[in-house]
Amino acid sequence: MLKIRNLYAYYGSVTALSGVTCHIKEGEIVALIGANGAGKTTLLNAICGLVRKKGEVTFLDREVSRVPAERLVGLGISQVPEGRQLFAPMTVRENLELGAYLRHGRQAKADIADDLERVFHLFPKLKERQGQLAGTMSGGEQQMLAIGRALMARPKLLLLDEPSLGLAPLVVENILATISRLKAEGMTILLVEQNARAALKVAARAYVLETGRIILSGSARDLLADRNVTRAYLGRDYKEFTEGR
Amino acid sequence: MRQPEFEAISPEELELLQLERLQSTLTRAYRQVKFYRRRLDEAGLTPESVQALADVARLPLTTREDLSEHYPYGLFAVPLKDIVRIISSPGTTDRPLVVGYANQDVKLWLELLARLYTAAGVTSEDIVQLVIPPGLANWRRDLMAGAEYLGASVIPAATLNFAKELMVMRDYKTSVLVTTPPLARHLISVMDRMGLTPAELSLRKALLVAAPLPFAVRREIEDTLRVDIATAYGITEVMGPGLAYGCAASQGFHFSADHFYPEIIDPATGAVLPPGEEGELVITTLSTVAFPLLRFRSGDKTALNQDPCSCGRTLPRLTGILGRVDAICSVGGIKVHPDHLRALLREALGGHLPRHSWRVVEEEGLEVLEVNLALEEALFSDEVKALEGLCQRVRRHLQDHLGLASHINLKEGLEEEKR
Repeated sequence: MLKIRNLYAYYGSVTALSGVTCHIKEGEIVALIGANGAGKTTLLNAICGLVRKKGEVTFLDREVSRVPAERLVGLGISQVPEGRQLFAPMTVRENLELGAYLRHGRQAKADIADDLERVFHLFPKLKERQGQLAGTMSGGEQQMLAIGRALMARPKLLLLDEPSLGLAPLVVENILATISRLKAEGMTILLVEQNARAALKVAARAYVLETGRIILSGSARDLLADRNVTRAYLGRDYKEFTEGR
Repeated sequence: MRQPEFEAISPEELELLQLERLQSTLTRAYRQVKFYRRRLDEAGLTPESVQALADVARLPLTTREDLSEHYPYGLFAVPLKDIVRIISSPGTTDRPLVVGYANQDVKLWLELLARLYTAAGVTSEDIVQLVIPPGLANWRRDLMAGAEYLGASVIPAATLNFAKELMVMRDYKTSVLVTTPPLARHLISVMDRMGLTPAELSLRKALLVAAPLPFAVRREIEDTLRVDIATAYGITEVMGPGLAYGCAASQGFHFSADHFYPEIIDPATGAVLPPGEEGELVITTLSTVAFPLLRFRSGDKTALNQDPCSCGRTLPRLTGILGRVDAICSVGGIKVHPDHLRALLREALGGHLPRHSWRVVEEEGLEVLEVNLALEEALFSDEVKALEGLCQRVRRHLQDHLGLASHINLKEGLEEEKR
């Protein structure tokens, strides 16, 4: 579904990704793991056209590296950004409706209503609290709302950035269960997580990023057994181990 | 097919998978192995220099001598505490070549072996008997573990005499024999002597490994033992027998190109040759964690065939092993480098190496190394017993170090054979 070749991304004069090649097949959950600053979020932002980049990005056999961010949503790529980025003074329902901002007209209105029901079915709590201001909800509820809002755009590929960040372990379990449910419904997901253990629980495959390059890839099960990954997960650079030998 | 998603992968998907694995292998090798970092730096390259598979040709080649120079752990890419297996294979000197496996490497190795057995038509219902000499210890271990992983009932290689092996084969109702081509022929001659017929055995398959299998020999074994024959190719430095394996269509060896990148080069110039042309097989690992190898020269002569195979696998095929590009010779599958052999002879003879020659001879299907030594003054004794003792010492030394059988002859007026 998504193929990335030799992708470079820049923040000013700083190179944040230096030649990343990876892919995601339809219906897969793929995790991107690595220490803080490894380039995980940058990769999501580069896919979405939010940072300056160079390289090849193919989505559903179409070259999209030059397609602007707002048009990518229409093509079927939705991102749930780190820190949720909700509209705090707006209600839950308004936030969700904003997720469908690309759709207009009478038919669209009916479709949006259907999609709202689907999101409410997935997250019954959001239905209960549809009138509540987003900013007053708990971290876990906000994360659900952020995912729900992304789903309102009817994405084919969902990019999830650190959905477990700042959440209590029990809430993290809940979010992971939601991700698994989305996969069961056929959604394709690229999941960025610093919490490697959590990510590898739901993903089938993963890529390990270290300072802007992929250094390992494989099935989630194999990577969970990898001692290097444990170290990457702990946020420690692996070089200190090899050089100390 | 064990893993159709990889064994029958489309060429486009394979290309992308190889590229992403290659780039991560290069990054790991460059960051974690000083030797590769130095090599790439000297060539003015970085891991980022490889943006397409064709760029592999720009990377420096790695030889067995490089492995030897970094004995024992210099080319490991993970800390020693992450290594779960350390294996050795004979090198060009008395220093063995050392290969390390991390946890995931062991898993990959088993999965590749399961691919091999599945392609050979072996299932968990089979009784698999290994008849592999101790000199091929790595093949023994690999093929035993693979058959067990598959769930078959495995009779490990023993050091029984061949008549006993055949008794076990008959009484235990072995359905798959795993051995080398020379040993298969030897077993046939022992069966003949014992008056044992194939009808008394339950064999349906023979997996023949570790040595080339000429067509005529294949036919002979197939007809005499009344079995289907399967083959495999592997080298110890690159994960052993699962590297490439035959299929029911019997057209060469499918190369596990999702985990190893193959190239065929002109051994003299190093230039990459197009598919179909014969040259030396060069391998780059794409998935191994502990011991990445960049463009490792196998020394084996073959060609790549990219045509689709009627078995349904899309993995490219090696057309067969057509010989060596270097001086290494095979004695019943055991690889012997002339320099190593000379060093062993010198050791056994107390430091003096007279004029000598050697060749591989066949005895009842078995391959034996025949060594002729010139009876020079330094070795001479007028006691027959002393001369016999000398031959025995050399024979035992070769047996101890290489695990192979040899005949040592002392000859007067021997001309040295250039090898």
